[in-house]
Amino acid sequence: MKIAVCEVNKAFKQQQVLKQISLTIDSGRIFCLLGASGSGKTTLLRIMMGAISTDGGSVTIGGTTVPNRQLLSAMGYMPQNEALYEDLSVWQNLKFFAGLHRLNRKKFEADAEALLQIIDMAACKNKLIRDCSGGMKKRISLAVALIHKPKLLLLDEPTVGVDPVLRRKIWLYLRQLRNEGTTILVTTHVMDEVTQCDDAALLRNGHIIAKDTVKNLIDQTPDGNIEELFFIDTQSESEESSC
Amino acid sequence: MLSIVKRILGQMKNDKRSLGLLLFAPLLVLTLLFFILGDSNYLPQIAVYDMNEKFVLELENHATVIEETEKPEASDYLEANRIDALIWIDSAGTHIELLEKNSKSAAALEAIQATNQALQPSQNEPIIDYVYETSGDNQLDSLAYVFLGVISFFFVFILSGMSFVRERFGQTLERMLMTPISRIDVIGGYTLGYGLLAAVQSVVVILYAVYVLQLRVEGSVALCTLVMILMAFSAVSVGALVSIFANNELQLVQFIPVIIIPQIFFSGLIPIDTIPFGLGNLCYLTPVYYGCAALEMIMIQGKGFLEIWPWLAGSVVFIGVLFLANVTALKRYRRL
Repeated sequence: MKIAVCEVNKAFKQQQVLKQISLTIDSGRIFCLLGASGSGKTTLLRIMMGAISTDGGSVTIGGTTVPNRQLLSAMGYMPQNEALYEDLSVWQNLKFFAGLHRLNRKKFEADAEALLQIIDMAACKNKLIRDCSGGMKKRISLAVALIHKPKLLLLDEPTVGVDPVLRRKIWLYLRQLRNEGTTILVTTHVMDEVTQCDDAALLRNGHIIAKDTVKNLIDQTPDGNIEELFFIDTQSESEESSC
Repeated sequence: MLSIVKRILGQMKNDKRSLGLLLFAPLLVLTLLFFILGDSNYLPQIAVYDMNEKFVLELENHATVIEETEKPEASDYLEANRIDALIWIDSAGTHIELLEKNSKSAAALEAIQATNQALQPSQNEPIIDYVYETSGDNQLDSLAYVFLGVISFFFVFILSGMSFVRERFGQTLERMLMTPISRIDVIGGYTLGYGLLAAVQSVVVILYAVYVLQLRVEGSVALCTLVMILMAFSAVSVGALVSIFANNELQLVQFIPVIIIPQIFFSGLIPIDTIPFGLGNLCYLTPVYYGCAALEMIMIQGKGFLEIWPWLAGSVVFIGVLFLANVTALKRYRRL
């Protein structure tokens, strides 16, 4: 599903977080939204979903204007913090969100088992969330976002706090999903993650300062280190205090 | 909607302590109240002056009697000596002087009445004077139904308000709204889920009050339960609505004095028509009023459904209005 963001503005209490953002994300790609903490990545993500309103501008997903409830059933969202019910078990959490998407039980049970295999949690599906470690919660949260097989996946810092072995496994799975046609949007401030993606955009001071395929972006840097991208145009724009 | 109901029940099942508090804390408070307001076998202190010996002897069976040889004149006599009543006779008849209308005075009067009855029932009516004149009757009798209503309202309010605050700050609310679920389903599921829990609580509380504490109910216990359940549903909605204005759990607790205490004023503790400046009309804005007024009519006046239905209807309308307010308020978290 192609996402088109058109001249979106957003301010919180005088502070302009997003300024005239325009961005297109092609269908069937892993797209990375890169930016320092506080640069407005999550805000942009929320606007794309229709969770918060814009101060002008529009977002369309697959040709439909956001917000739209039908669109939400094709979308999987994983928030930055875990957003799971502490008093429920892993399985009950999955079941609850599957219920909100009105999945039928047989299909849910098969899908949930498969997902738990991927996130390596099949053995402890009856564990309560409050007894899970931070990394486990992250994985479960990802599984919840995937439970209804969304065509568009919005992941807010999905691999923070996940160990390297599992991280590789998750990326492998995400690429597999992409090959099946899922569009995946990932936000991150960890530069290493970018190399796993197809395209990337850099968000800084409320503007998209660069957007290209990851390969091209890396070619632009002097030493192949993607972090350099943040220093390329520091000259062009004076540093604004952002707090 | 069903998913949310199931989830809420599942959450409570896994959180045994909250469940225990929901069900047993009201019982504990009610039991305490029962003992505080119950028969204490208090022996009143009664002073007598110049009464016949027979009367004094009989009175001693009902009270601690202090015989005065001189008629005490000081106006603070009763207060200073911690005496509940003073009796003397003059040409006008038997005088009884009491401090104020409270349970001690009531006990003293009862003792004197019992004495009179034992001696000569056809005696002249005694002249009763109070040092501090207060209007209205003793309010203690009405406490039972007021607390029955307020206590269960309070616990359910906290429960639903807290879980809504948590849901918002754990971002599970946002996550829930990022599915095709409608806002009506979210609030409906919430109201129904916590309403069911509250209904169980109401049933437990009323059965305990009636069958264990032997609270007198003139009308039907089933009707009482219905009133309590309606009140519980409105408590869920009030909790959810208030949580919107609370930015964290602490603030929700701070809302308790604002939301709960004024409701106690209008619950029947103070007769509504004695409240000045027409402030009594504010009672129509408090869900506890509808519940407690109905409870009073059933428990004390023994009225049936046909007489109390306007109050039940009031409760239902209140729940409806709160429901719509909550559904609208959710717009803050999803634009449709």
